[in-house]
Amino acid sequence: MTSPSFPTPEQVSAWPFDCVLVANRGEIAVRVLRTVQQLGMRGAVVYHAADRGTAAVQMADHAIEITGGTPVAAYLDGAQIIAAAQACGAGAIHPGYGFLSENKTFCEAVEAAGIRFIGPRPEQIDLMGDKVRARNFVEKGGFPVAPSAIEDDDPASFVERARAVGAPLLIKPSAGGGGKGMRIVRDLSVLEQEIERARSEGQRYFGDGRLYVERYIENPRHIEVQVLGDGQGGVVHVFERECSVQRRFQKIVEETPSPALDAALREKICETAAGIARSIDYRNAGTVEFIFGQAGEFYFLEMNTRLQVEHPVTEEITGIDLVAQQLRIAAGETLGYTQADVTAQGHSIELRIYAEDAARGYTPTTGPVLVLHPPQGEGVRWDSGILQGGEVTSAFDPMIAKLIVRGRDRADAIAKADRALRDTVLLGCKTNTAFLRRLIGHPAFVSGDVHTGFLDANPQIAAEPELPMQTVQALLAAASLSTRPMRDMADSVPDMHAAMGGWRN
Amino acid sequence: MKRIESKLNTASAEFQANAAHNRRLVEEFREKQRKVRYERPQRDIDRLRKQNKLLVRERIDLLLDPGTPFLELSSLAANELYDGEVPGAACVTGIGIVSGREVVINAGDASVKGGAWYPLTVKKTVRTLDIAIENRLPVVHLCDSAGGFLPEQAELFADKYYAGRIFRNQCMLSKMGVQQVSVVLGHCTAGGAYVPGLSDYNVIVRGTGAIFLAGPPLVKAATGEDVTVDELGGCDMHTSVSGTADYPASSEEEAIAIARDIVAQFKRPQKAHTEWQPPEAPYYDPSELYGVLPQDIKQQFDMHEVIARIVDGSRFHEYQPNYGKTLICGYAHIWGYKVGILANNGVLFNDSALKGAHFIELCNQNRTPIVFLQNITGFMVGKEYERRGITKDGAKMIMAVSNCEVPKFTVMCHGSFGAGNYGMSGRAFDSRMLFSWPNHQISVMGAEQAANTLADVKIRQLRKQGVELSQADIDAIRDPVLGEFKRKQSAYWATSEIWDDGIIDPADTRNALGISISAALNTPIGDPRYGVFRM
Amino acid sequence: MHHAFKLGDAEHNVELSRSADAYRLHLGGEVIDIDLKTGADGRAWLTLGKQHLEVVIATRGDDVFVHLDGEAYQLRYEHPLDRLAAQSGTSAEDSILAPMPGSIVSVAVKAGDSVVKGQTLLVMESMKMETTIGSPRDGVIAGVSFEPGQTFDRDALLLSLEPQEKAA
Repeated sequence: MTSPSFPTPEQVSAWPFDCVLVANRGEIAVRVLRTVQQLGMRGAVVYHAADRGTAAVQMADHAIEITGGTPVAAYLDGAQIIAAAQACGAGAIHPGYGFLSENKTFCEAVEAAGIRFIGPRPEQIDLMGDKVRARNFVEKGGFPVAPSAIEDDDPASFVERARAVGAPLLIKPSAGGGGKGMRIVRDLSVLEQEIERARSEGQRYFGDGRLYVERYIENPRHIEVQVLGDGQGGVVHVFERECSVQRRFQKIVEETPSPALDAALREKICETAAGIARSIDYRNAGTVEFIFGQAGEFYFLEMNTRLQVEHPVTEEITGIDLVAQQLRIAAGETLGYTQADVTAQGHSIELRIYAEDAARGYTPTTGPVLVLHPPQGEGVRWDSGILQGGEVTSAFDPMIAKLIVRGRDRADAIAKADRALRDTVLLGCKTNTAFLRRLIGHPAFVSGDVHTGFLDANPQIAAEPELPMQTVQALLAAASLSTRPMRDMADSVPDMHAAMGGWRN
Repeated sequence: MKRIESKLNTASAEFQANAAHNRRLVEEFREKQRKVRYERPQRDIDRLRKQNKLLVRERIDLLLDPGTPFLELSSLAANELYDGEVPGAACVTGIGIVSGREVVINAGDASVKGGAWYPLTVKKTVRTLDIAIENRLPVVHLCDSAGGFLPEQAELFADKYYAGRIFRNQCMLSKMGVQQVSVVLGHCTAGGAYVPGLSDYNVIVRGTGAIFLAGPPLVKAATGEDVTVDELGGCDMHTSVSGTADYPASSEEEAIAIARDIVAQFKRPQKAHTEWQPPEAPYYDPSELYGVLPQDIKQQFDMHEVIARIVDGSRFHEYQPNYGKTLICGYAHIWGYKVGILANNGVLFNDSALKGAHFIELCNQNRTPIVFLQNITGFMVGKEYERRGITKDGAKMIMAVSNCEVPKFTVMCHGSFGAGNYGMSGRAFDSRMLFSWPNHQISVMGAEQAANTLADVKIRQLRKQGVELSQADIDAIRDPVLGEFKRKQSAYWATSEIWDDGIIDPADTRNALGISISAALNTPIGDPRYGVFRM
Repeated sequence: MHHAFKLGDAEHNVELSRSADAYRLHLGGEVIDIDLKTGADGRAWLTLGKQHLEVVIATRGDDVFVHLDGEAYQLRYEHPLDRLAAQSGTSAEDSILAPMPGSIVSVAVKAGDSVVKGQTLLVMESMKMETTIGSPRDGVIAGVSFEPGQTFDRDALLLSLEPQEKAA
């Protein structure tokens, strides 16, 4: 195999499993099952009663109910899931994202049960799951991590080491939290002064004056790189994703390529990611996340050893089915292609459809899915686990769907995204589609000038705009004509009197 | 059915002059209506507002289905009496749509003398309930009345058609299975208490609504008992203790909303079956009626032109077009309803009277409601016509009209003088509705003729006493008689006395008739049976 | 006005009437010709004056959901009887009177307790039958008149609620 193409039936028939159980729910369960079934294998899924009517349960060849004190607890119950896999003859378990996807114990238990875990080796989960260990490991490998200085390491040299971090820097109380006692230093000549103030504030707030210092990245971007490793020496990157638009520390819009990168910088950041993956002979699809400064500097943040929510944008511009690649790797195949074989075309944007009220601090909403008309058309992809007739509950994460568009270029993709959001009909539960339209229409987003604090700095995007009079009239007209007591009353008027209208003599 | 070909030249000076004249008459009429409806002493309005009360027309607007017509009846009743201080006779009545049902609304107007009943209030209310009986229309009473106006009690209490008739009519309605709901928005004292008392459903407003035979002062005087309005006949007492009222409401708005919900429970009547086809607007613009009507009451005009501006598509099937031509007879549709039309086109001769009687019989046989368009100076008089039996031919027409089983509707389009009024279903002949146009005049004979007759009698009397009168003396006798006669033959006097069901703008005639015909069909149409026609 | 919809935080009073061949919306002083033609897939065409707008509408209970011009909206219908009853802080409901003579079995609340509409306040016995007295509205108990075992006549004041502030 010389290109990252879709596995052929002959290849699949050689794999050591012919049934894959998805230990997840919602849109990602549907997403994984789709590829599993396309490959001619049986797809199984576990589900909690709260998910009984969902798309994943309906499309799975085997759906096995699991129970738990809470719906979430059920999906975290590894023993039940492994038992379910054994019950339906699944030779592999795909953990999706979240839940047990980065749980070393579960991974080990799965392998111990003789089932393939579609993911990395347990020790890779372990390493990357520990932020401090991961950071130290990456730093030792010579990859960029944000400069920092911890006072406790050597109190005597703290000021000196802090100065070496460079401006701008952030001083934080070691015992701190909630932003208290934090000081940004942009001019190193006042560093000592600021350290003393921070120390006294830390003392006052937390009774602990110890400090640490790290490089302060102003208006940072979040850029991550998709990698694929076969655990047999083969590692490639599958380009970057820009995920800077976030609300409450959660991504809502992701795209690739990043508008912040030129070719050289792209090559540099992607190769850095591939290098990190290579340094642990990574197995599985994974994501290396970086914090990216306005000056083009970037530092390792963390590595996610699973499929990401936003993986579809990568698939859209490269044509690679990342789930299929995960399955190949788990089946023991080598990548069979090199970096040069991985190419990309066009621009893709993913918009996360959340059941939430953006204007009310992004608070989750619930309700029935009375009508669902997903958007359609060339370059429009709808990854969702909900169906018309279903219900959005507060039992799980409020993300109910992902809208992914692919365009010739970024402007084309934005236009397509707006059209697709417009065409998305979901009635019964408030979603953020209108907010997303305002967001992608914002001049800063259009020009690609975003950072992780963008929405906090522009709260008017989340605010509900005042409705034009004509919209209010149209809504009241539609509602009046759809409300039985009103319509029945109007219909009960005899024809002649209705035709006369409000005549008075 | 072919279209009437109008011969009117709307560009002619005559048409223009007529139009200007009649538009002015309509404007005067509208202005009188406006005053009657909306001009009240500020203190009366303030008093009602302070009591959290709505004005009667606000109440009616809340009661009616939105965007539906309201045919107000006798809007200028009592306008020529009581120094004009009892506008509309202190009540508002009409036919409207509530919860999709045709109903009669009978609403007291508390902004006029606290809603006290004057003699003409009683007459208007009795007539309103007669309309409900004749057309089997449910009634919504909006009660807010201080009771009978004591100084006029002799004119409103004891006689057959006085106040007792209101309650008698309510009982008749109940017996007929026609439902009534009362909304008690103010005090219902003494006789007024029986309006809710005799209704099938009652809603009462907490705080302002009260029902009792005698109010606290009278109770105090009669028995020495001290009692508050609420204790004596308030909302909570009547809805939870006495059972006199059924539904408590916290506001007028809520009371009216409850009343609407009650009406929504009423069974819809099976309409009498008559010919009907989808309606069509008149081909000729109804507002051209202003140019059709002459300025002089004595001047003749072609009633075909009037028919063409009232009926569907201006289409008319004329019966006996060449016989008895002073009475136009024929079929047309109004708002889709098939009607027979009798319209005066001159003095009634023997042949026109016979034609009219015959046509009325035809309409009765084929169950076609009849519309009379009056412009009549009477039956022809004189030796030749008496010899031909004008009296007995006129009697035939009156016999046919009186025993008519199909519903009749009369529009006073111009003059109505003498016995022709009877033959054309005047007030005494139980037309379901009778409307007048502002130019209408009515009396037993023309004003000049009557004044001269009266003056001649006087002159002859005086001459017998040997008194010779100068022309000035004669004028002094004649002129006041003429003035009084003219006043009392005007449409405004007629409508003030409730000789009709209200003056209407000629251009509104089609709608007024449509609503009236639709209402009339709630009552089954019986088989025709007549007395003896003098042959 | 008889009917109302809540849209966001705003309440709109509306009326609907039928015209010769469609409908009219009465809004404030304005009357707008409207109509709605629904297709099989739930998509519909809304006529608003001279405009034709594509909409998708779904209802559940008193909630009406409308997708219009690329955005979803939710409106909540308020029946006139509910709205008018709610507008009046009805004084009668301040006093809870005995529906018939009887005795108190148990009292579930005490003065100062907050209660919600329908919540059991006390249980009484009469004619060998237990009757539960529930709160007529949300509110705060002002006073309880009887203790278990005590008897009372019809219309006796059993409990009272703190008067409600008039809705604006």
